[in-house]
Amino acid sequence: MPSYTLNVNGRDHLVNVSSESMPLLWVLRDVIGLTGTKYGCGIEVCGACTVLMNGQPEKSCKLDVSSAAGKPITTIEGLSPDRSHPAQQAWIALQVPQCGYCQSGMLMSVAGAMKAGHHGSEIASEVKNVCVCGTYQRIKQAVAGL
Amino acid sequence: MIDFPKPELELSRRQLLGAGSAFTLAFFLPGKAAEAAGASSAVNSWLSIGADDSITLTIGSSDMGQGASAGLAQLLCEDLMVEPARIQLKQGAPTLASPAPLGTAINTVGSGVTRNNYWRMRDAGAIARETLVAAAMARLGDGNRANYQVSNGVILHSPSGQRLSYGQLAADAALLVPPSSAPLVPDSQFKYIGKPCARPDIPLKVDGSAIYGLDVRVPGMVYAVIKHCPSFGGTLAALPATPAGALALVPTKVWAGTGRGAEAVGNTNALAVVGVTTWDAWQAAKRLSPSWTLPASTAALNSSQFMSDAQRLMSSATPYVAGAANPPGTLYTVERSSADANAGLAGAAKLLEASYSLPYVAHACMEVLNCTVDYVAGQRCEIWAPTQSAKSALALVCAITGLSADKVVFHTTYLGGGLGRKAELDFISQALQVALVLQKPVKLMWPREEDFAHDQYRPMALVRVRAGLDANGYISAWSYRNVSPSILGQRGVPLGASGDSQGYEASQALPYAFGARLTEWVSHPSTIPVGFWRSVGASINTFAVESMLDEVAAALGQDPYQFRRARLSDPRWIAVLEAAANAAGWGSAPPAGRARGIAVGTAFNTVVAQVVEVANNNGQPRVTRVWVAVDAYLTVNPGSVEAQIVGGVVHAINATLYGRQTFANGAAQVKNFNASRMIRLGEMPEVKVLIMPAPANADRSRPIGGVGELGVPTFAPALANAWFRLTGARVRSLPFNPNATMGG
Repeated sequence: MPSYTLNVNGRDHLVNVSSESMPLLWVLRDVIGLTGTKYGCGIEVCGACTVLMNGQPEKSCKLDVSSAAGKPITTIEGLSPDRSHPAQQAWIALQVPQCGYCQSGMLMSVAGAMKAGHHGSEIASEVKNVCVCGTYQRIKQAVAGL
Repeated sequence: MIDFPKPELELSRRQLLGAGSAFTLAFFLPGKAAEAAGASSAVNSWLSIGADDSITLTIGSSDMGQGASAGLAQLLCEDLMVEPARIQLKQGAPTLASPAPLGTAINTVGSGVTRNNYWRMRDAGAIARETLVAAAMARLGDGNRANYQVSNGVILHSPSGQRLSYGQLAADAALLVPPSSAPLVPDSQFKYIGKPCARPDIPLKVDGSAIYGLDVRVPGMVYAVIKHCPSFGGTLAALPATPAGALALVPTKVWAGTGRGAEAVGNTNALAVVGVTTWDAWQAAKRLSPSWTLPASTAALNSSQFMSDAQRLMSSATPYVAGAANPPGTLYTVERSSADANAGLAGAAKLLEASYSLPYVAHACMEVLNCTVDYVAGQRCEIWAPTQSAKSALALVCAITGLSADKVVFHTTYLGGGLGRKAELDFISQALQVALVLQKPVKLMWPREEDFAHDQYRPMALVRVRAGLDANGYISAWSYRNVSPSILGQRGVPLGASGDSQGYEASQALPYAFGARLTEWVSHPSTIPVGFWRSVGASINTFAVESMLDEVAAALGQDPYQFRRARLSDPRWIAVLEAAANAAGWGSAPPAGRARGIAVGTAFNTVVAQVVEVANNNGQPRVTRVWVAVDAYLTVNPGSVEAQIVGGVVHAINATLYGRQTFANGAAQVKNFNASRMIRLGEMPEVKVLIMPAPANADRSRPIGGVGELGVPTFAPALANAWFRLTGARVRSLPFNPNATMGG
């Protein structure tokens, strides 16, 4: 059984998995127990599984655990300790989420775009995550101030 | 092993809120007087005020993002006279008691939570407040109510200046019998109702701590992934060997009450593959190639056959006969005026006819179907489900496990979207069946492909409308016939002379001057499972009705807004139509290269008008702006109303432009988001929501409208009407762009 050390939200986790190709998503959710990162489509389309790896947004649903080992990974649980990330603050202020299921991935994509130095409408055109509830209007308003 | 997450949202088991010094109230459904809760009647502990001034409200509605539970808390706060931020919301569990006490789980369907509980919540808040005031009167020895004022949960005795908080009075109040009624805060003095209010679930949805069904973790649990027969109606031919990497393989059958259409009760139509993680189970499921037996009828379950059946039945359906079997293919009369519509059509100066077709559409909730069960044989069952139907699900748990309800602990989790699909119980029945075999905690998940391919879809429909015009351009006869599979029929509900209300809703009793009218509905024989999809029949019929009216207006060379206005008799319809048109600047020219379309309609007692502005993007519509006017009679949280309407518009954009499920040999062809395009952030149009003003004094005898589903029905016709004005092309068959994909 392969084992890897994953650095998630600043903490190392030694994980044993059945295969080196087990996607990071399921390692996070089922092995480490960080369920904030969501399964949506499993084919890198919807973006619900987005995390930051080396500071960049990555869809974790098809990302082999072997290629994530040793790299700093940030999930929604580690975006801030207290919902103080500017995107989280904007999401609360504008009451963005409805069902909320896509919002972890949405926020991580936005956070990645911000790390890349992008702002406002740049972020809006860059973030491709799917929200079935259709919260896009409030997301646009929220990122306008970022 | 991973620790079970701290129940920070304690989607909790029945809570004993009444213990000790707390004041609790229970209220029953209409017709029953409010009753004082005994000290510890579990399901009755609904509103609890603790000695520490905590206020806990247990609400049984399911949260799928619509904000309804928070809205009920807001209502309570108005008459309880406390700030909404002070309320701690708890998820209520279901009960089999009938009528269900308020606070226990109710089925969250039909845009119904707020409109069905508005007055109940207000009365409850007022009764609780007056009971606490009565406790203050007794404590202070002054029985003159005029000497007491309440502000944010503190009662001031004006003559003495003494202040007593609700918490300080809770223990005394617990000993009193609450009054059967109490005065409500006058509308003119509302502090909370009708004003935006922050939802308590939002913070949990920005840091990953909200626990959806798929996030439930129980010590010692294993993971199951479902693999259905690809074709509806198939049954397992032989149980295959447990695949490598799997812990177990459990066949599951269609349980009584969950079978729809071709999914016959008792058929083993799926296998649950169990593994140590979701991924392990899923990989093992992929290695499995079970053999399925398909009935001969499966070959006819394909999309071209469905359309040719619909076309045949449009002209040859057999009329309903009272007392007869009336099998699929029966023609039902929904509405018939005393004047003969067919004679009116025959004698019309001008006759227009058009047919509209709509496809099956999947729900595609962001969170796939799933359910977690911890079952100990013969002793207890604990279950976590993202369900809109906790009450029905509890009955199912009892039926499958044989346990009485008091041995069942039921948790309704957050729902990652519901959209009507999570009102069904098939996935819950499967998880229970697996747990019965495994005897250990198990979470069952449907991979996205299974979720798309084994949905209970919005029914397909073929609608034919005939309109006869008199010499003055007025509609003298209107004949409407909708052929579609029956949602209620697939649930074993006997259809009366007017057919399936879910199929014909929003096609009848329209407040237009139609002259002679005949509205008919024909049951289509397709056995593809169908179900309740956001706004149900209104999503189909409003498209056909409002498209046809636009066609009539165009044939007469009349403005589509003025044409409707001149033929409407209901002031609510006229008012929303005017509001949307005015907001959109209907009389002015749209920006170059764009056109506007308009539509109006109703569902769940709410009337909505929508104006859609569209541009031509290489032959496909690009929605640029939308204006929606909404009259639900009363508004609790305008922020939630706006969110629901805008979200409904997006839902309708996706369905109208791209949404469709097709079938070949009983098997669904669209299996993931890559083949079912949805708009993304950069494509979001600007949507303006106009909420019609609240009445000066709400009349409790008037029906309150629903909101959650109301952004949907009028969008498709408004878009088709706008597209016609922009391009001259009339789109009568949805979706606009069935071949769109989105990568992956």
